[in-house]
Amino acid sequence: MLTVNVNGEERDAPRGDRNLLSFLRFDLGLTGAKYGCGEGLCGACTVLVDGQPLRSCMTTVGAVAGGDVTTIEGLAAGATFEDLHPVQQAFVDEQAMQCGYCIPGFIMGTVGLLNREAAPSSGQVREALAEHMCRCGTYQRIERAVERAAGLMRGDAGAAGGAS
Amino acid sequence: MSLSIVGDVQVGFPAVRTGYGQQTYGNTSPLVERYTWLTVGDDGRATLFAGKVEYGQNIRTGLAVEVADELRVPLAEVDVVLGDTDRVPWDMGTFGSQSTARVGWQLRKAAATAREALIAMAADVLDLPASDLEARAGRVVSKSDASRGVDYAELVRGDAVEREIAERPPVTPPSEWTVMGQTHRRRLDGIDRVTGRSKYSQDIQLDEMLFATVVRPPAYGARARSVSATAAEALPGVVSVVQEDGLIAVLAEDDEAAALGARVVQVDWDVPQGQPSRWDMPTLLVESGAEPHPMHEEGDLDAGFRQADHVLESTYYLPYIAPAPMEPRAAVAAWEGDRLTVWAGTQRPFGLRQELASLFGLDESAVHVIAPEIGGGFGAKSPYALAHDAARLARVVGRPVRIAFTRAEETMWSNFRPAALIQIKSGFTSDGRLVAWQSDAYHSGERVMIGRRGAETPYDAGNVRSLVYRSDSPLPSGSYRSLGAAVNHFAREVHMDEIAEAVGKDPVELRLHNLSEPRFRRVLEQAAEEFGWNGPHPSEGRGAGIALGIDVGSYVATAVEVSVKEREVRVHRVGAALDCGQVVNPEGARNQMEGSIVMGIGGALFEASDFQDGRLLNATFARYRVPRITDAPRIDVRFVGDEDTPSTGAGEPGIVPIAASISNAVFAATGQRHRELPIQRHL
Repeated sequence: MLTVNVNGEERDAPRGDRNLLSFLRFDLGLTGAKYGCGEGLCGACTVLVDGQPLRSCMTTVGAVAGGDVTTIEGLAAGATFEDLHPVQQAFVDEQAMQCGYCIPGFIMGTVGLLNREAAPSSGQVREALAEHMCRCGTYQRIERAVERAAGLMRGDAGAAGGAS
Repeated sequence: MSLSIVGDVQVGFPAVRTGYGQQTYGNTSPLVERYTWLTVGDDGRATLFAGKVEYGQNIRTGLAVEVADELRVPLAEVDVVLGDTDRVPWDMGTFGSQSTARVGWQLRKAAATAREALIAMAADVLDLPASDLEARAGRVVSKSDASRGVDYAELVRGDAVEREIAERPPVTPPSEWTVMGQTHRRRLDGIDRVTGRSKYSQDIQLDEMLFATVVRPPAYGARARSVSATAAEALPGVVSVVQEDGLIAVLAEDDEAAALGARVVQVDWDVPQGQPSRWDMPTLLVESGAEPHPMHEEGDLDAGFRQADHVLESTYYLPYIAPAPMEPRAAVAAWEGDRLTVWAGTQRPFGLRQELASLFGLDESAVHVIAPEIGGGFGAKSPYALAHDAARLARVVGRPVRIAFTRAEETMWSNFRPAALIQIKSGFTSDGRLVAWQSDAYHSGERVMIGRRGAETPYDAGNVRSLVYRSDSPLPSGSYRSLGAAVNHFAREVHMDEIAEAVGKDPVELRLHNLSEPRFRRVLEQAAEEFGWNGPHPSEGRGAGIALGIDVGSYVATAVEVSVKEREVRVHRVGAALDCGQVVNPEGARNQMEGSIVMGIGGALFEASDFQDGRLLNATFARYRVPRITDAPRIDVRFVGDEDTPSTGAGEPGIVPIAASISNAVFAATGQRHRELPIQRHL
């Protein structure tokens, strides 16, 4: 039986050619990663594999076997604001969301970016997130959230306050 | 027990059985006259019930803000139930920016009624006159003796109490607001949104549920001549292939088997020939134009043109565009005997309930529709035929059934913003004063309300005739943010810019010269100030453009700065002003304005749905470009309404002036006038 590590747990997969997004959503019930386009263009299905963003709709389970998959459900330590990952906190505090359907993907893309680059420039942020779509158009807020999250993760005191 | 506040549901849009919803969707009436709008439980928490749905507009927090303030409880003590036909007051649907304006007002009255009821109950318990009591932070306390008070939780612990919403309860004036009008960045559903806990229709899964993929035709109007399902039926995981009254669907134990099965069903399609293609649209719109409807008539048009020093005639064209919400529609249906439950991301849960009841010959009370979180809709998710299919299939196979659109299906089998051609002829004096305004607007589609919205001119031309025609529509036309208002405003506001150019006046000055309505003047002046308007040529290589408008009772103006490089227009910044009266949830309204502007940039610059012989050519994101983060400008929004003016909508107005602002700015930057959208196809 093929197994794959998802959010720190070894999970059985039915077969290697099972679509990764379908596996996560329907076999494991992890519905945080979304179907948006099925062709890797909107970013709603983004998960992390070994810390880096991957379009799960374009991937099979077999392709990530042996790697560590993290979904949005595996990012926060608990259910309260204080338990959230700094990127999640920043998206809440900048109200970087409307319908919210794209937001798990944006958050995973942002975590991946900040794993690579602790203090990204505005150009780097835009480049990294250009393959995500938010039809509600909250981009200005998403940019602010990424900046706030980077500050939180670097331990900048100023980034923590401000929102109510 | 609890305190329940009940009231009627005659707060729909604009009234039950009349108006937009009725004309467009044939909406039903409420099943019962009175519903519970608000409860205060014996844990002291308040729960509000509303027939609206949450599809991004942040109405969950917006309505809770209103209740929290009127009831004098912290925002975190308010729970919100939306869009569930078994639990919430009947509602015609979430469209037309009516949630705050009407349902919010009803809830404010309900909460003020509850507050008064709690004070009366406390007067008995504390044996103090009600005049000595006030509500504060979930308690009723004595004004004269701060040590005497009682929690709401304790007050409602006795028998269940029911109160009718008072006719004129003492709602809180804006000067005393402590929750309304404040900045609430953290939405009530913020943590659910960022942790993946928010459940959308795509996420609903039931035990024993089958995945269905409907075999869809390759073109509009196509019919199956013959179907062979043998190969599909033989696939592992496929449970059955249903063929019933034109519906062909593969049902399987998992999503991939259903999708693969649908691909291998062999269908011989009869595709009607001779369907119009996109290049036929301008001619088709005019030639098929019927039922000219006068939207604005005043004065004597011929006399007006005789007074004119100049006459200007221009034609504007806007193609179909796709709403493209991030969440493609999905529906799950489950039968229990003759009772049906459907989860669907529809803007009209009660309308869908009526449709399903009628489809299966059931009483509406036997149908339960739940609209979970909705991943965007922008008006397009009012029709939801996918849920009919899910319910039919679930009935046939005797198991719960899920159907989810692919992106291409969502685009093709949803509905588009109608295409339109608008002819404007204006007469004006040498100093730019309008004396005649003639407009003929041809909008595609049967739903005439769409094209008519926003077709009146706000300018003091004196002699006006604005007609809107209903034209043929080769693609399914439907609701899209602001309906036809964004389309009608594009033509009018570009035309005003052309007049400014013709008489050599600044575009702001030219508009003010022709505007007497103070709210229009203010919103224009305030947008210009927010932007730092200094004429159409802010700097070398840049252009600035401005436009104004009105939608759902709100006045709006946007000014933009652009640069043009080869075939790309870049919108650098937008300064906007909105007068939507009282702003109860400023951060929510601001977010909506920003999003509305970004959405409008797509239609202005690059969105157009292409079709040929009944086939849609750009149904996927590989071929249909929508704004991305790299297209998003800096947006500054200023709210300029009076606090004593009742709230009007904030979700739609932002899109109304933006395309004209951009076209006008591109003209300033390049000298090219763009009367046809999207601009980047014509650079």
